[in-house]
Amino acid sequence: MKDLFLVASFTFKDLVKRKSFIISNIIILLIIVLGFNVPNIIKNISSGDENFGKDKIKIVDNENIYEGTLDLLASQDLGYQIEVLKQQMSIEELKEKIKNGDIEEALYIEIKEGIINVQYVIESESLGTYVPQELIMILQSTYQNLQISKLGVNEEQLAVINMPFNTELVQVEESKTGNSILPMMLLSIVLFYAIYFFAYQVSSSITTEKTSKIIETLVTSTSPKTIVIGKTIGIGLAGVLQTIVTVIVALISAKLFLDSELIDMILSSINLTGTVALVTIVYYILGYSLFALLYALTGSTVAKPEDVQSANGPVAILAVIGFYLSYFTMMNPASSLNKIAALVPISSPFCMPFRVMMGLANTSEILISLAILVITILVIARISIKIYSSAILNYGSKINLKDMFRMYKNKND
Amino acid sequence: MGLTIKNVNKSYGDKKVVDNISLEINKPGVYGLLGTNGAGKTTTIRMLLGILKKDSGQINWNGKEVKRKHVNFGYLPEERGVYPKVNVYTQLMYFAKLKGMKEEKADEAIKYWLKRLEVEEYMNMTPEKLSKGNGQKIQFITAVVHDPELIVLDEPFSGLDPVNTEIIRNVILELIKKGKYIIMSAHQMSVVEEFCTDILILNKGKTVLQGNLKQIKDSYKANKLYISTKQDIKKYVEEENLNIYLEKDNEYEIDIKEEEQGYKLFNELAKNNVQVEKFEIKKPSLHDIFIEKVGE
Repeated sequence: MKDLFLVASFTFKDLVKRKSFIISNIIILLIIVLGFNVPNIIKNISSGDENFGKDKIKIVDNENIYEGTLDLLASQDLGYQIEVLKQQMSIEELKEKIKNGDIEEALYIEIKEGIINVQYVIESESLGTYVPQELIMILQSTYQNLQISKLGVNEEQLAVINMPFNTELVQVEESKTGNSILPMMLLSIVLFYAIYFFAYQVSSSITTEKTSKIIETLVTSTSPKTIVIGKTIGIGLAGVLQTIVTVIVALISAKLFLDSELIDMILSSINLTGTVALVTIVYYILGYSLFALLYALTGSTVAKPEDVQSANGPVAILAVIGFYLSYFTMMNPASSLNKIAALVPISSPFCMPFRVMMGLANTSEILISLAILVITILVIARISIKIYSSAILNYGSKINLKDMFRMYKNKND
Repeated sequence: MGLTIKNVNKSYGDKKVVDNISLEINKPGVYGLLGTNGAGKTTTIRMLLGILKKDSGQINWNGKEVKRKHVNFGYLPEERGVYPKVNVYTQLMYFAKLKGMKEEKADEAIKYWLKRLEVEEYMNMTPEKLSKGNGQKIQFITAVVHDPELIVLDEPFSGLDPVNTEIIRNVILELIKKGKYIIMSAHQMSVVEEFCTDILILNKGKTVLQGNLKQIKDSYKANKLYISTKQDIKKYVEEENLNIYLEKDNEYEIDIKEEEQGYKLFNELAKNNVQVEKFEIKKPSLHDIFIEKVGE
């Protein structure tokens, strides 16, 4: 037990003192602070400029089809900075002005063969260029209103004609309507990266010890079981420290930089209860343990630094399959595939917290999922420690599955 | 008190890497474990350290079976390694504590050994900034810091310059004086001859020679004659039907089958007034014995 604490504490200190760890965390924290400041930054840049961020579109109506009604559009907030050009301008002259940069984009309206023809003129098409359909629909509706009013229809009648529809989403099962999926999917992504990144560190730490040959001294000082579990705990604690620091910085940033209304909106959308927080923490720890032990196994089989990627590849694939199985089934949380994803050990750490937040998982489902995950971790721990004991002293050729099987069957503890 | 290895075997698959090895170390001193690369030395060492399980046989220390959790031996592996990015003092403290030392005692021992091996100025540096020799000395400290009764030194002088070799040499002599049991594996036979009282030579996992080094050497007949003169003596050597093994600046190493051949040649040289500066009848060196036993 004393050795376990020593290994965990040494591994923890070694990781958190590394420059790469400190720098990457500073970057993450800066991004968080900056992220929470985005609304303020936009507000500051756009202060005093109500048209900030809006496309500047000129409208050319040489034939006065709209009979002056377009000026009313220009004064409304339609998401565009609209200016109706007063002077007559041919399409060629307009193109020339756009080419020279005098005008950014324009709508050229004319009647051609009895039909209203609208040309959207821009310098050149690029990624993200699209015809402003919303604006064209507004133009169409304005034209219709102009023509209807000419038929003697008054404003009240016109309002009845243009009455907007009210749409509502009604779900049969009320419990599934409470929460927005998006924040929870984001949380799953964060959970995946936190688990994956720190689990990978276990492999990295073991490989470093093996390739730097320090392992020979270490295994004569304590048991392989203590080394594997101690490392897993030490790196896990570094992960917990990073998570705590990140959450604290995020909370302080939110409090300092976000409107309280926005915070309430976000919190109400993710339904963060004590149970949800507990389930998330438990699955985070178990998910990390599972992948850390798998990485301990592959890390111990590496004899040369250049073999690290190929040795760890299978675990990375398992983790990615687990994550995507969880992620894609979140689109339809009621599906049986999502239920299965919450039970399969490689995907349950990313999926079950989401189902609990959504109110989709009952207690028995959670308990079964936890039992499967814990049993899997115990089995993987046993296999990893046994193979680690033999593999770490092997500096020869790359260890394949057959070798691993032989090592597992060996009595060497 | 002491180490007993009795009929120990170890195989990897169908390959037997240690074949029925037995040895006994019942008094302090240095025991030499010799053999070519792949002879089974490291496997034997790993078994006696308890980090590798034997297939059969017994390994006892002070009458008790050696088990990993009970073993607290010192070990300097052949594979040199320290944590490159962890400062010297921190990693030595880590290993000292893993070996069961209390922080205060460990601190005292670490500082003593850093000073003794002339590396105390590197205490707060990371080994990646140290020379290979100094890195090796740091690793040597991990083997002795907890004052173990039995120390296994696998190639302790490999890669060291003459100055560092002398430092480690003196430390080993001190450890012998302190009554430590040392098992040393080395490829330089001069090192083995200097330190070891007993040896075991392994070849392909099997013991090919074992016993007290002096007795082993005494059991061999003289096989070389060394003569240093001021003139060419080739014609006298030929007349005695002897073969010159090595010749350099009138210094000769001559093969002999028995000591009498040497004395006969000496008398012949004296009769012909050849000035002999040095005359020595030599028994086979450990190097010669090693080559004879394990082949080239």
